[in-house]
Amino acid sequence: MSLFDKPFDRRTMLSGSATVLGAAAASSLPFGNAFAAGFPDGAISVTVPTRAGGGADRNLRAFTGVWKKYLDATFKPDFKPGASGRVGYEFYMGKKKRDGHNLLFGNMGPEFLNWIVKMPTFPLEDLTYFARVDTDPGAIFVRADSPFKTIDDVVAAGKKRTLNVSTSRLAHPASVGLLALGEHTGAKFNLIPLSGGKNTIAGVVTGEMDLGTLTSGSVAAKGKALRTLLVFNDENVAADRLNNAPTMNQHFGTSLPPLLSSRAFAIHTSVIKDHPDRFKILNDTLKKVFDDPEYKAAVIKAKGIWEYINYGDMNDTAKYLKGIKEVGLRFKPLLTGKPS
Amino acid sequence: MEFCEVDVSIQMFAELFVHTLGFWWIILPAMLLGLIVGAIPGFSAANTIIILLPLTFAMEVEQGIVFMVALYASSRMGAGIPAILVNIPGTAGAAATPLDGYPMARAGLGQQALAMSFVASTAGGLLTTIIALIAMPWLAQVAFFMHSVEMIVVMLFGISLIATIAAKNTLKGLIAGLLGLMIGAVGTDFVYETPRATFGFLELYDGIPLVPALVGLFAVSEAFLVIEGESILTRRGKELMANPSWQATFEGVRMCAKRWWHVIWCSLIGLVIGVIPGAGASIASFVAYQQSRSFSKTPELYGTGHPEGLIAPESANNGVTSGTLVPLMVIGLPGGATAAIMLVVLEFHGVNFGPQLFSEQPEIGFGIFMAMAVTYLLMIFTILPLSRYMTKVTIVSTAFMAPVIISFTLVGSFVPREFGFDMGLALGFGVLGYIARRTNYHVAAILIGIILGPLLEGFFLRAIRMANGDLGVLFSSNIGNALWVALVVTVALPYLLDYLRKRRRQQKTM
Amino acid sequence: MLDETEADRPRKRALGAELVIPVGALVFTLYYFYTILESPWTAQASAFFIGTILIVLVLIFIGLTFRWVAKGEGDWSFHTLFEPHDYVKIRLGLLALTVGYIAVISFLGFTITTFLFLVLAMLLLNRGRRAKLSLTLAAILSVGGYLLFIVAFDTNFPEGPFEFLMNGIL
Repeated sequence: MSLFDKPFDRRTMLSGSATVLGAAAASSLPFGNAFAAGFPDGAISVTVPTRAGGGADRNLRAFTGVWKKYLDATFKPDFKPGASGRVGYEFYMGKKKRDGHNLLFGNMGPEFLNWIVKMPTFPLEDLTYFARVDTDPGAIFVRADSPFKTIDDVVAAGKKRTLNVSTSRLAHPASVGLLALGEHTGAKFNLIPLSGGKNTIAGVVTGEMDLGTLTSGSVAAKGKALRTLLVFNDENVAADRLNNAPTMNQHFGTSLPPLLSSRAFAIHTSVIKDHPDRFKILNDTLKKVFDDPEYKAAVIKAKGIWEYINYGDMNDTAKYLKGIKEVGLRFKPLLTGKPS
Repeated sequence: MEFCEVDVSIQMFAELFVHTLGFWWIILPAMLLGLIVGAIPGFSAANTIIILLPLTFAMEVEQGIVFMVALYASSRMGAGIPAILVNIPGTAGAAATPLDGYPMARAGLGQQALAMSFVASTAGGLLTTIIALIAMPWLAQVAFFMHSVEMIVVMLFGISLIATIAAKNTLKGLIAGLLGLMIGAVGTDFVYETPRATFGFLELYDGIPLVPALVGLFAVSEAFLVIEGESILTRRGKELMANPSWQATFEGVRMCAKRWWHVIWCSLIGLVIGVIPGAGASIASFVAYQQSRSFSKTPELYGTGHPEGLIAPESANNGVTSGTLVPLMVIGLPGGATAAIMLVVLEFHGVNFGPQLFSEQPEIGFGIFMAMAVTYLLMIFTILPLSRYMTKVTIVSTAFMAPVIISFTLVGSFVPREFGFDMGLALGFGVLGYIARRTNYHVAAILIGIILGPLLEGFFLRAIRMANGDLGVLFSSNIGNALWVALVVTVALPYLLDYLRKRRRQQKTM
Repeated sequence: MLDETEADRPRKRALGAELVIPVGALVFTLYYFYTILESPWTAQASAFFIGTILIVLVLIFIGLTFRWVAKGEGDWSFHTLFEPHDYVKIRLGLLALTVGYIAVISFLGFTITTFLFLVLAMLLLNRGRRAKLSLTLAAILSVGGYLLFIVAFDTNFPEGPFEFLMNGIL
């Protein structure tokens, strides 16, 4: 438990927030913008800790395609996949200049669960998720012609034999949801990590796996080929796209926190302190994207779920990470393969 | 024939062919670009399409498809050129090409080798594209039957090449192969992602990157060796290259045509492996090479510049190209990395995959394969005449060639991941390759281990974890068991044939 | 020059050189094992299986080496790695230039480093001759590389004075 005593504790979070508020106040002064003259000076590099062509790539392109209108800069994605995002984060923290021209676009849930398994080499408070883009709940799905028509069918089968479940990786909110389902119902599941959403879906579609667990946005994007059976959220806000699947809490009367994947932009915390003017420009222009109809059109065209697009500031992301930390620690032995 | 409520007739294909030919103005530049990026180590169709995503997003969906497919097919052919001429396989899919291609180039038969590679690629690509067009619904079924257990055996077909290579010097061959497998196992484990043998380098967490290993073991080590000679050519090679003529190109075409059965068979291996999600051109090339050698009457010639050893991987890796598109279009699952990027573009344009695609938008469903067929047809006529000129690279003085190869391959090592570390890694593999060559350890054996080892481990762990640790799962499927038998037969066959030949010879002399 | 009898005598195997790879493999495998001692079985299974076979084979090879040396078939020398001797300096020079290329590229940027590497390596291999041709080729290739990789393909190669200058101009 001592693992998380230092990073992301209440004090760090508060001091971080205070810094940001201070920065915002400073930059609202009449001369504030003078410091930012010439920013951005060149392209904004966005480190993405997953592979090109994946879900993060798609989301990022849709977002920056509109953001560039307001920021007057081009965005260069820099894909650094590996070890469930660890490579990208370490690369960003270790190699990228701390001048506001370098951002990270990550999936907070699975990537933060990584740190529960093993801490990174940098102190967690050195990185700040400053803007959440979406909240995408995990879901359990089967292929369209599966004998499992409802989640009850799955649970009943899981009580008779161990069901193989494909997942993107063990340290993922959707995997945690599946484990929670097993714990609550007594059904036996065997999580098979297949490295990435595409492989997770392929495992189910090709019939090798009995079912899969993944972010519901990726499941919905596959259309009729898949059937969603359960969603790990308080409410299934995209019921029409997800076969009207019930939520875990509704169906089983549990009080599981929403198990969301949540994509967010992050930045070196020192940039917020040292270049508050630059940070303000980034933050202000970013927020405008959410109100732009062009962004909504881009999300819908890419088969995304608009209801999942959900801006959140630093306080929201910190609150989210706190929740992820709690569930992560609860299932830590299953995520690491070692007894606690 | 009827597929998904679409009347599939010869007339429809003819119309589609003419329609696709109308896109020549996209196909030709895409083809040229594909050949260039294919030939540069580190670049591939996948990362080029990523770079050009804004362009493909802006195009009409059909134009975008034609562009990507033309680039994909031609990049595969482009990768064969440096693999043959200067021992630089730019992608893992071309890793088996230099085994016999480069010795041919050194022997002054570069033109023949290139012509053979072009014809084998085109014929393999065209044939498999036509088969894919006709048999798509059935071919897509392969993905439903080839699971982890079956894939383990497919991998072993490729890995058994190590044993074959080791035949001349068993102990050294096996040490090289097993060292390759150990190096290939560097990186985090597949389930819990604990780092293994990474020397603390973050850059190794995702495993050994293939391009630095490929170019290091093959090209960098070769560059350090060839500086002893004036050119890479052998003495006989120099004599042959002294009087270049078109004749050599025609000879290459003839050599390939004579082995038509080989082209068909190896490209079909590529097609089937290409259809399986998670398998790709590298596996297909090695499996085709292994199969080709097993059934050959002259297995001892493989690795010395044997035409069949070049035809096998080249027709197979082009078979993969059409294969990967089958599950993409029929079930919306990409069969490989390039198909995965194509998926992004097609999803961006709102294309609905699945059987309904062929009834709703046949110009896309069938059109993607037709674009490939047209590309291959246009490509063979444009590239074949160039083989004579490309081969001239082999006569360039090594004093100029070696530095260019080294800098070119280091640059190529950097490109896929943009880590400076990968350049150092390529040099490290270059030194390993140099020592291996100088002391008669086969670099190909090391490389097969590095490429196929992690894939095998991934499928193995998946199968075992699904079976809760029961090793019996390896023999639990009918298709898997049939493949096991085929594996044993093809591995034992060369020894058996050799034994029978010797016995026959003995009987004759008696 | 060797006299005829010495040249005709079958050369002994340089077993020291032949041992470099097996011994390296042994050390690497032991290091690999060390890194997975505490790991879950999924990280260990295939590595222990393959690694153990590799160690056994290497030990057999080392045992055989002692026998070959005892029988006079080989010696502990490394000569095959360094032959022919008149190329040792050139080869080491080329290696040093390559190491330098990788080390310097992050400071001087892609274009200048590539140019310097090509010129120096070509001059080294040509033993100082054909300087003009080396310079011309190196200039064409490095600028061509800049145009292809950095301008056309937008690759994130390390930038240096040349790239900064061109960024300003373009």
